[in-house]
Amino acid sequence: MTRAIITGGSRGIGRAIVDRLLADGAQVLTCGRGDRPSDLPAAVLWAQADVANPAEAAALFAKARAAFGPVDVLVNNAGVQIEKTVAETTDADWDQLIGINCRGSFNMCRAFLNQPDARGAIVNIGSISGDVADPSMAIYNASKAFVHGLTRSIAVDHGPHVRCNAIRPGWIQTGMLEAGFALATDPARARADALARHAARRFGTPADIANTVAWLVSDQSGFVTGQCFTIDGGLTAASPLQPGLIFNQD
Amino acid sequence: MNGRLSGKIALVTGGRGGIGRAICDRFQREGATVYAADLSEGGSLSGAGAGRFLRLDVTSEDETRAAMDRVMGEEGRLDVLVNAAGIEIEHTIEHTSLADWNRIFAINVTGTFLPSKYALPLLRRGAAAGGNGQASIINFGSYDGFIADPGLAAYCASKGAVHALTRAMACDHGSEGIRVNAICPGYVDTPMLRSFFGGAGSGAGGGALDTVLDQVKAIHPTRTCGTPEDIANLVNWLASDEARYASGQLWVLDGGLSAQVQQMRF
Repeated sequence: MTRAIITGGSRGIGRAIVDRLLADGAQVLTCGRGDRPSDLPAAVLWAQADVANPAEAAALFAKARAAFGPVDVLVNNAGVQIEKTVAETTDADWDQLIGINCRGSFNMCRAFLNQPDARGAIVNIGSISGDVADPSMAIYNASKAFVHGLTRSIAVDHGPHVRCNAIRPGWIQTGMLEAGFALATDPARARADALARHAARRFGTPADIANTVAWLVSDQSGFVTGQCFTIDGGLTAASPLQPGLIFNQD
Repeated sequence: MNGRLSGKIALVTGGRGGIGRAICDRFQREGATVYAADLSEGGSLSGAGAGRFLRLDVTSEDETRAAMDRVMGEEGRLDVLVNAAGIEIEHTIEHTSLADWNRIFAINVTGTFLPSKYALPLLRRGAAAGGNGQASIINFGSYDGFIADPGLAAYCASKGAVHALTRAMACDHGSEGIRVNAICPGYVDTPMLRSFFGGAGSGAGGGALDTVLDQVKAIHPTRTCGTPEDIANLVNWLASDEARYASGQLWVLDGGLSAQVQQMRF
């Protein structure tokens, strides 16, 4: 019986993971900084919490354990993105982003591992940006590299009973991606260009990431730990410089 | 700074090509005795360059053995081997003939294996003779051994093989005082790169070459392509005793190109 906590499950990738693990028969608690989303399935336990706060992170485990027992799956999905270079980034930006993406992941992992009977699987949501840089996303990129390093450390230190892996999503179709295209001078062309850079000729969907999570928390991945898996439709397998795309313009 | 390779004996395969030529020139200025090994004195450019020319087809075991015999006879040892000979074939696997596949592996991979194999006895002597007890092999990988350029399948695969061979050689011969590293260049302005942009494989056909190069430079964080001299700077360091703790590593030198996610425009 899977008893899972998924952070940031109100929408986007997190919601797809909630839906998938629920469909696979798991008991699920998810959280967010706002109120319970009206369309969240009734079977899902909701908690309003800020994972950046250690006490609130620990309280999530107390709530889940009281409701359905020891938590054996943790998915650290909650994250924010700030589109700035280092020079532009304020102390408040740092506290907010590092608080959620880094400290939040750490808080949740520590609370999971400090359960007296800790065993199961942790899946952290990293990013391709933790390995190759997206421009003007400096501390976001860095925060995801932290997630990848934390993933390997937990796998190494807590091996016998806990597996820990990360997923590095590429461009996933969420509200955030559409907002990005809307900012382009020629949104249709920006979209077509971005699609052409994906070997799969499509963007990812939240379900693509949820599929990977489902596998990584299942017995099918019992020997898999300490790894970061890129799910990006082939984007980062190709060079950033594709002459054919740059020069064959009308 | 000159004189970093003072007294060292070096052999550079592909020593008359775009990058190899710059390496030979630099080695000579740093005080090394240089053998420029290539198919012809002119190589892919024209005219002679720095160093003693040594005719070598890196795919031929006999020629490789003979080349090392000559160095042994003249100098009695080797301190630095640079495996810079390489070619590029611009096709997807569907349009790569078996003959082309075999040719690129013969030059890029076998052509790294053979000179390394037959240089080992000389490099051991070099390691024994040198003050720091070491010799250095520098292979040529590519950033294409990590991420793919379209229409370069066999080339990408051959460079991935060089990367793995580099680590293996470093493991096997480190205890003999032989360090092994690979340099993985990105876009370097050489005859090979100009041929790539002139060819159909890149999909870049059409634009005037200089316009194409300008746009390529703009994609790089440093806003420029590399020069053969940029590569020679790193080869020189890896060959020198300053790099005495560096071995088994793949040194990407690409102006930051592969540090980025693909650069979308509009």
